[in-house]
Amino acid sequence: MLADLFRLSLRSLYRRKLRSWLTLVGIIIGITSVVGLIGLGHGLEAAITGIFGNLGTDKITVSASGGYGPPGSGAVKPITKGDLEKIKRINGVKVAAGRLIEPGKLEFNERVSFVYVASIPKDNDERELLYDTFDIVAEDGRLLKPGESKRAVIGSAIGERGDFFGKDIVPGKKVKIQDTVVEVVGVLKEQGNPLFDSIVMLNEDDVREIFDLDPDEYDIFAVQVVHEKDIASVAEDIEKLMRKQRDVGVGEEDFSVSTPQDTMSKINTTLTAVQWFVYVIAGISILVGGIGIMNTMFMSVTERIRDIGIMKAIGATNSTIFMLFFIESGLLGSIGGFLGAIFGASLAIFGAAQMRAFIGGDLDIRADISLGLFFGSVAGSFLVGSFFGVLPAIRASGLNPVDALRQKK
Amino acid sequence: MIKDMLIYVWNNIIHNKTRSLLTILSIMIGIMAVFTLMSFGQGLTSYVNKISEDMGTDNLVIQPTGFGPPGSTGTHLSSDDLDFVKRRKDVSDATGYVIRTGEIKKDLKDKPKFVFVMGWSTKPDEIKFATNAFGSFGVAKGRIHRSGDKRKAVLGYNYQFDKKVLDEALDVGDKIYINEVKFEVIGFYEKIGNPQDDSNIYIPLDDANELFDSADTFDMIYLRTQPGVEPDVLKDRLKESLRRFKDQKKGQEDFTVTTLAEQIEVFNNIFKVLNGILVLIAGISVLVAAVNIANTMYTSVLERTKEIGIMKAIGAVNSYILSIFVLESAILGVLGGIFGVLSGYIIASILGNIIGYYGFSFLYPVFPKWLTVSCIIFAGIVGTLSGLFPSRQASGLNPVDALRYE
Repeated sequence: MLADLFRLSLRSLYRRKLRSWLTLVGIIIGITSVVGLIGLGHGLEAAITGIFGNLGTDKITVSASGGYGPPGSGAVKPITKGDLEKIKRINGVKVAAGRLIEPGKLEFNERVSFVYVASIPKDNDERELLYDTFDIVAEDGRLLKPGESKRAVIGSAIGERGDFFGKDIVPGKKVKIQDTVVEVVGVLKEQGNPLFDSIVMLNEDDVREIFDLDPDEYDIFAVQVVHEKDIASVAEDIEKLMRKQRDVGVGEEDFSVSTPQDTMSKINTTLTAVQWFVYVIAGISILVGGIGIMNTMFMSVTERIRDIGIMKAIGATNSTIFMLFFIESGLLGSIGGFLGAIFGASLAIFGAAQMRAFIGGDLDIRADISLGLFFGSVAGSFLVGSFFGVLPAIRASGLNPVDALRQKK
Repeated sequence: MIKDMLIYVWNNIIHNKTRSLLTILSIMIGIMAVFTLMSFGQGLTSYVNKISEDMGTDNLVIQPTGFGPPGSTGTHLSSDDLDFVKRRKDVSDATGYVIRTGEIKKDLKDKPKFVFVMGWSTKPDEIKFATNAFGSFGVAKGRIHRSGDKRKAVLGYNYQFDKKVLDEALDVGDKIYINEVKFEVIGFYEKIGNPQDDSNIYIPLDDANELFDSADTFDMIYLRTQPGVEPDVLKDRLKESLRRFKDQKKGQEDFTVTTLAEQIEVFNNIFKVLNGILVLIAGISVLVAAVNIANTMYTSVLERTKEIGIMKAIGAVNSYILSIFVLESAILGVLGGIFGVLSGYIIASILGNIIGYYGFSFLYPVFPKWLTVSCIIFAGIVGTLSGLFPSRQASGLNPVDALRYE
């Protein structure tokens, strides 16, 4: 019985080939654009969070909080060496490192650029934590040795800016930081994050001297926990300690303790909102495609009104007639959805390749087409087809056989 | 002749009510989406234009180079720089600002909030220009600074309400602590339209210098050209002479000079690209609607094959048949366009109100006539184009075959 209905529906679609194709094209365009955008959107999201994922999932950062901007921009109470020493003694903390990050002037070949200058800690454990956290490796030359003075390591983006400085900065060259001459001993491996790639690193004492900083202050602490699963409770302990150190109550914190999970969830929230907005706008085309299905089905019912009359006259029930048309629209939806999902997936893969080529390796964008997305969109399209087929199918099933038979062609 | 054609076409549209309505509905939805997005784009453009008109396009901005928000760039402009700019004959007014992040509290025991605090000159000869340039929005309550004010703050619009910036609303005469220093509130600005700017605080320059230890430094110099001097020309001259004055080599300047027009242009361009992408995505639904129209028209041609045969048999030429069907699909398109614009108008107005309620009142829709007209014309063109192939098929029918069609 059901097989018969399927055969009839397929034959009806086949008989009006052009109309069936045009209806399919409509729904295919809609599904293609939505699947393509979702695939690209997820890929982009993964690429962006990947950058922050570099921070590792067992590291906590602590900084004095100003509402806006990078460290040092607000008139805020700095975090100190004393705080750092106490954090190191908290249970569950493996290493804690203090860092200075200052905006500064970099001069080379008589040209000036503005960069962030970051410090490298003196302590060996702290250095290791830092190198490990930020995946710092020298691509060219070497990293800084402890105690070395007036030596610098630069990010890959600065080294390659030959078109700006007139020539590339390579190990051995001398540059000026805030008018102090330092020798570049290494260029870092590219990280893919523009912010990290255009940083200058100096030993901590040099940074304090060049920027005339208080010997006791830091801009940021990086803390590594012993066990990753304890990260939330250690972060809580650090918060408690910092509140005591700075004499502020709960809810009055003038510092922030953030775990990678916090950062990621903040970024994700924003990205998700933007994505949904785009998806909804693209989804409008699926709605229009659905209306196309409805239209086609109404036409199909009108055309076969005599057939319906005959079928009813020889004993077809209302529900059989309903199923006949309902299956036809469901088929339109699922075939359209399947083809749309394939085109959409190809579109996302193609689009991601184009974006990679355009942006040039800074962001590793890969189309993210999960099985869930693929089959979800096929199922969704089937639902759209069925939904918009209900009204025409009801009209067909409710026809009076006598009237239907009398209907002129 | 044309009248006959119109009557015939209209009867056809009416005859297949369901089909016509569904076709019109599909193009309507597409046009609605495009119209709504474009009206918001227009709204933002007109907002930006209004600002630039209020501030005057003959204004220039000098800022220290570097990145990050004001005050964090590591370089500053000095009062010597400001004096140098002021002395120039082609500059009519100039003033300097200190823009920093400040910690504010209503009561010393409260939890602090961080907002942008702007210190502006209250010197008699600068105050008018200084406050006009940045506070070109009217005063909602109280007054703005006059020369000689000390420890007095003018606040952004949002401070007048509970829980917008601070938990409790402030009124003229209230106290506010900025970096733990007490200020008296003397006035509130009118709404600028975005939560960040509406949370700004404006204080006299001398107070800002004390608070931020920023004596002799500026984060921004704002100036107006003498009448008759082109801002673009002054920009180049200023860059060159200020560089020499600061004794910096070419390419090593630690400042930038931009005209207000340029800054607005940059912002406008970014926004136009983003809005364009959204409109394109919405345009996909118009494409789907076009396919629907083509589908409807093919069916319409098929149904009336016999009629076409009769018309041809009694002398209708191919172009007449073509016109009939193209006209039908064009009318479907135009009707969809009209309804699309109407529903887009309603949706955009509602959305605009909702967004405004959440403090982003700079995002409001604007409905210029050309947008309405061009959306309807666009829908008509889409209808015409998608009807073209079915109509050609109709006009090319062989009358004998068509008459024989069952």
